[in-house]
Amino acid sequence: MKGTPKEHKLYNPKMECMSREELRELQSKRLRETVKIEYENVALYRARMDARGVKPEDIKTVDDLRLLPFTQKTDLRDEFPFGLIAAPKSEIVRIQGSSGTTGKPIVVGYTQNDVDVWAEMVARAITAAGGGKDDIIHIAYGYGLFTGGLGAHQGAAKVGAMVVPMSSGNTPRQIMMMKELGATMLCCTPSYATFLGETIREMGIKPEEMRLKSGCFGAEPWSEEMRANLEELLGIDACDIYGLVEIGGPGVAFECLEKHGMHVSEDNVIVEIIDPVTEEPLPYGESGELVFTTIMKTGMPMLRYRTHDICSLDASPCKCGRTHVRMERITGRTDDMIIIRGVNVFPSQIESVLVGMDGVSPHYMLIVDRVNSTDKLGVQVELTNEMFSDTVAEIEKLRDGIKEKIKSVVGISVKVQLVPPKSIPRSEGKAKRVIDNRNI
Amino acid sequence: MYITQISVYLENVRGTLREMTKLLAENDIDIVALSIADTTNFGIVRLVIREVSIDKAVNCMKNAGFMVKKNNVICICVPNKPGALDNVLAVIEETDVSIEYMYSFNYSVNGDALFILRLSDSERVMELFKERNIKMYSQEEINRL
Repeated sequence: MKGTPKEHKLYNPKMECMSREELRELQSKRLRETVKIEYENVALYRARMDARGVKPEDIKTVDDLRLLPFTQKTDLRDEFPFGLIAAPKSEIVRIQGSSGTTGKPIVVGYTQNDVDVWAEMVARAITAAGGGKDDIIHIAYGYGLFTGGLGAHQGAAKVGAMVVPMSSGNTPRQIMMMKELGATMLCCTPSYATFLGETIREMGIKPEEMRLKSGCFGAEPWSEEMRANLEELLGIDACDIYGLVEIGGPGVAFECLEKHGMHVSEDNVIVEIIDPVTEEPLPYGESGELVFTTIMKTGMPMLRYRTHDICSLDASPCKCGRTHVRMERITGRTDDMIIIRGVNVFPSQIESVLVGMDGVSPHYMLIVDRVNSTDKLGVQVELTNEMFSDTVAEIEKLRDGIKEKIKSVVGISVKVQLVPPKSIPRSEGKAKRVIDNRNI
Repeated sequence: MYITQISVYLENVRGTLREMTKLLAENDIDIVALSIADTTNFGIVRLVIREVSIDKAVNCMKNAGFMVKKNNVICICVPNKPGALDNVLAVIEETDVSIEYMYSFNYSVNGDALFILRLSDSERVMELFKERNIKMYSQEEINRL
């Protein structure tokens, strides 16, 4: 908390604090190995490298990264489910995933090595947030294909903490367990943590009755204002954690108690910032699109994966002793993806649902709001003659049908609002499909 | 025999009903009957107006961006005495037809009440109404109100 001197703990000092020169050597060596695996085992990478006239031998150091092709989320969709797997299928011990752009999920296969690498990344994040063997770690991320729950779980287990795998939902029960078990750390989305904090207050529980001291919060964008509010509500240090299933899951980058940017796990991934238009790498400090290359994964390694997240990197020394560069908060997206309660939503997914329904207008607008710290997605759809009826039951049936269909494709509940014809603004050129009122 | 009803979709936003009535007023349209179905998210206004104004009303509302639709409903006359409405519903109950909605409105003919009925199957019930001498109004009769 504010004012108290910070005691920095490290999970793997050798890797987390190695000199930049050593790190560069290590990254170059691991990159060479990864490129060889990809070229030999994944048809898509081989074809793309051949098309560029690049052979695995051409990749000698991290400087040669720019010779390699990019990977996009669409590649994971096109190669669904196993096309990008580089290891023998019998070596895959885990599938994790997220929603895709057209209803097909994105799935990633993990070898035991990948699960271990991922678990260590989260273990480092938990350690950096002050966690360890003596902690009781309450996990309220959802468990399942989504990497939040299992990711935090594995990391907490790795540091030897007492893990409470609550998953999401049932807030009063979450609070009862946190209080009775004396949870010292909390892992969940920042908005849910805020909601828990507000509910604890409403229930009349005093902060001193809780033993919480810190937490790792991620899977959605948040702000310094939200952090200040959350730290005040729960009396904790709130650290940001970043990740994406394509690169391994949460822990790809995480904050230490200095809370000034997330250290990228650079012995496991190589991070670049590129100009999203020219695709040229940008120097540290400049804002651009975040791109990751995995160098320790064997199940489904990724070369130059474009996240579409916009941020900048900071290589200045950190008081915690870690030498890994820090990524600043994500300031936006190069595409129109929005994140709702940890779920990635693309307007095109909603569009495909509407276009696929008889008599439903393809004109829509997504409205994102944060109500009681929880993100709500509203979908405005224009009424058409075919849709409109003089009976309430017919209109509600249609509205609920759209709602159900969106839920089955996108994976989250939305509020569907039918609006009069031509009330959604038509724009020339690229249509504006999202109104985000969250003020993140 | 049917009469024409106009249905208008309204978002549940303060001021939208007034927007509609203002438009009708400006176009000199007289409302014979009006009912509003309200839900938490939207409303449907049902209007009966004289034939001469129907197209004008539909067009002016459409041009102003309202979702408007015409459909057929039944208008019946119910005597002003206890049990008269029950008698009508009993006739409908003899069939397996259900009532989607109904509303009475503010014109009385010789002290009797007028009702608009929207049924799941109108044809069969209209035949029964004729047999049982339940008075139905035509659009011409509405026009003369």
